[in-house]
Amino acid sequence: MSYALATLWYERARFFPGVLAVAFSALLIALQCGLLLGLFSIVSIPIDESQAHIWIAHPEVPSVDLGRPIPEAWLSYIAMPEIERVEPCVEGFGYWDKPTGGMELCLVIGTRVGPDAFGPVRRLTAEHRALLAQPGAIVVDEGEFGRLGITKIGDTTEIVGKQVRVVGTVTGLRSLAGPYVFCSYETARTILRPPPDQATFLLARCHNPADARAVVERVNKYHRKIMAMTAEDFSFRSRWHWLTKTKAGIALGLAALLGLMVGAVVTYQTLRSATTASLKEYAVLRALGIPRWRMMLMVLSQSFWVGLAGIAVAIPLIHLLAIVGNIGAKVILPWWLWVGAMAVTMTVALLSGLLALRTLRHVEPVTLLR
Amino acid sequence: MYHDGVLTAPTLQAWDLCRSFGTGEMRTDVLREVSIDLYPGQLALLMGPSGSGKSTLLAVLSGLLHPDSGRVTALNHDLWSMSERQREDFRLKHCGFVFQGYNLFPALTARQQLEMVLRWGNGAPAAEARDRADRLLGMLGLSRKADLRPTQLSGGEKQRVAVGRALIKDPTFVFADEPTAALDWKHGEQVVELLRNAAHDAGATILVVAHDARMIPHADRVFHLDDGVLVEGAERPLPMFAAAADVPAYEAL
Repeated sequence: MSYALATLWYERARFFPGVLAVAFSALLIALQCGLLLGLFSIVSIPIDESQAHIWIAHPEVPSVDLGRPIPEAWLSYIAMPEIERVEPCVEGFGYWDKPTGGMELCLVIGTRVGPDAFGPVRRLTAEHRALLAQPGAIVVDEGEFGRLGITKIGDTTEIVGKQVRVVGTVTGLRSLAGPYVFCSYETARTILRPPPDQATFLLARCHNPADARAVVERVNKYHRKIMAMTAEDFSFRSRWHWLTKTKAGIALGLAALLGLMVGAVVTYQTLRSATTASLKEYAVLRALGIPRWRMMLMVLSQSFWVGLAGIAVAIPLIHLLAIVGNIGAKVILPWWLWVGAMAVTMTVALLSGLLALRTLRHVEPVTLLR
Repeated sequence: MYHDGVLTAPTLQAWDLCRSFGTGEMRTDVLREVSIDLYPGQLALLMGPSGSGKSTLLAVLSGLLHPDSGRVTALNHDLWSMSERQREDFRLKHCGFVFQGYNLFPALTARQQLEMVLRWGNGAPAAEARDRADRLLGMLGLSRKADLRPTQLSGGEKQRVAVGRALIKDPTFVFADEPTAALDWKHGEQVVELLRNAAHDAGATILVVAHDARMIPHADRVFHLDDGVLVEGAERPLPMFAAAADVPAYEAL
């Protein structure tokens, strides 16, 4: 066992605040970022839940909820051997007339709903699809009932003056802004009334999903006025837009930064007090001619072990709090977020160690001679 | 000087060392033209009342404190014309220190306190450092205490570990500042004997600063420092120390 580790274990009461501070930092970063990812993953639900491989949109569309009309005729641009089929999609915000009084802005998403259509979100069952073929039929997330002022399947109301009827519900598709209203392409056209022969997006499916990127590159190369994106790219673009536009990222980022600073200060203080307590011992080693860098390495190793112990404490806590958090919100913790949060935390612990090195300047063997 | 019938040269020599602290009216001359020769295989005792400059002389001779003037040569190297780095290197190769406080790392076992010097100082492999530490702990009578930490050791044991830390690298010089001050005489005597053995058996040059006259019989040479002036002990009347067997002489004075 290294001397640094032996010291850490023996003086664990002294090092405990540092370990806790590091754990707190790691926890805050991971959960803040996880919450942020969870929050903005909601924005790209219409893309992530659809089975389309390629999305064609107006070049100025920043996010899936902010579509602009494009000519349906653009589907000829994507007529390539790799493409299996193309479907139009109409999407837009409309005012939902709450039966309980008042209005609610909702996002109407109209796609083909036939048994072999690939546009609709996966959670729409075959039964839903059959029901949605009826004019004015819609499906909403049952969690949105309160917001929409409805209570059960079969309730009717109006969106921008057009009669709609709830024919089914899904779960797990609640939205960030207006509730999602899933319906057929025809119903959406009736509600949103886009210009004739225009859609909001054109969705394409490849014979082989792996061809999507090459197709997208080819379309964008030859047709500057349209924008083709793979589903992954459009999903990322939508989330990124919300992250930057709403500045929620900055707010959460600042909170995480604050956590890091608290972690850094407490870790620094812990290491400094441990180093100060051993100044006389270090002074003896200096008298014996042992180079200063050995002691620096000792302090840095201590900061490393404090960092590692903090991370070890943080991991189960993050898991636990993510489970608790998922009850009310959505926490997404991809592997790169784990790695990133741990790396940043460890860096902060090591930086605290570097700061604490200044304490070693006070090591002067001659002070031992009284 | 003859040692065991063989002429040996001094390993450490100092000429006209002066050192003062403070400036103007506050200036105190702690060392006034002190010259001294120390020989291998001998334990030299440096005595004097508190504030007489004993520790300052030890610091200057051991390369820890720069003199205002004068010269120190150790193994024919001029200690104070070396760079800081060279002096550090010299101490690493040749010097062991024992201080009044034990100054042991609280988290480390007796064995680790010794090993650390070899591993950090000489880059010795773990197994070798452990073997040497165990061997020395055996010689110090601490074999059964090797795995104990300072809080589990008595004062005498702690100071023996501190002596072990000074001796582990087989130094040419050992400088000890009041190594027995915190110990009762029984344990103090053990510590002095250990240092004496290091001189007689390993040929080290040992300088011990103390104000306890009971150490005198254990020393090969005795120096007295009074008000910054050094006198070799033989020139001082000794009976008064011998008479006060249980009371440290300078405290009695």
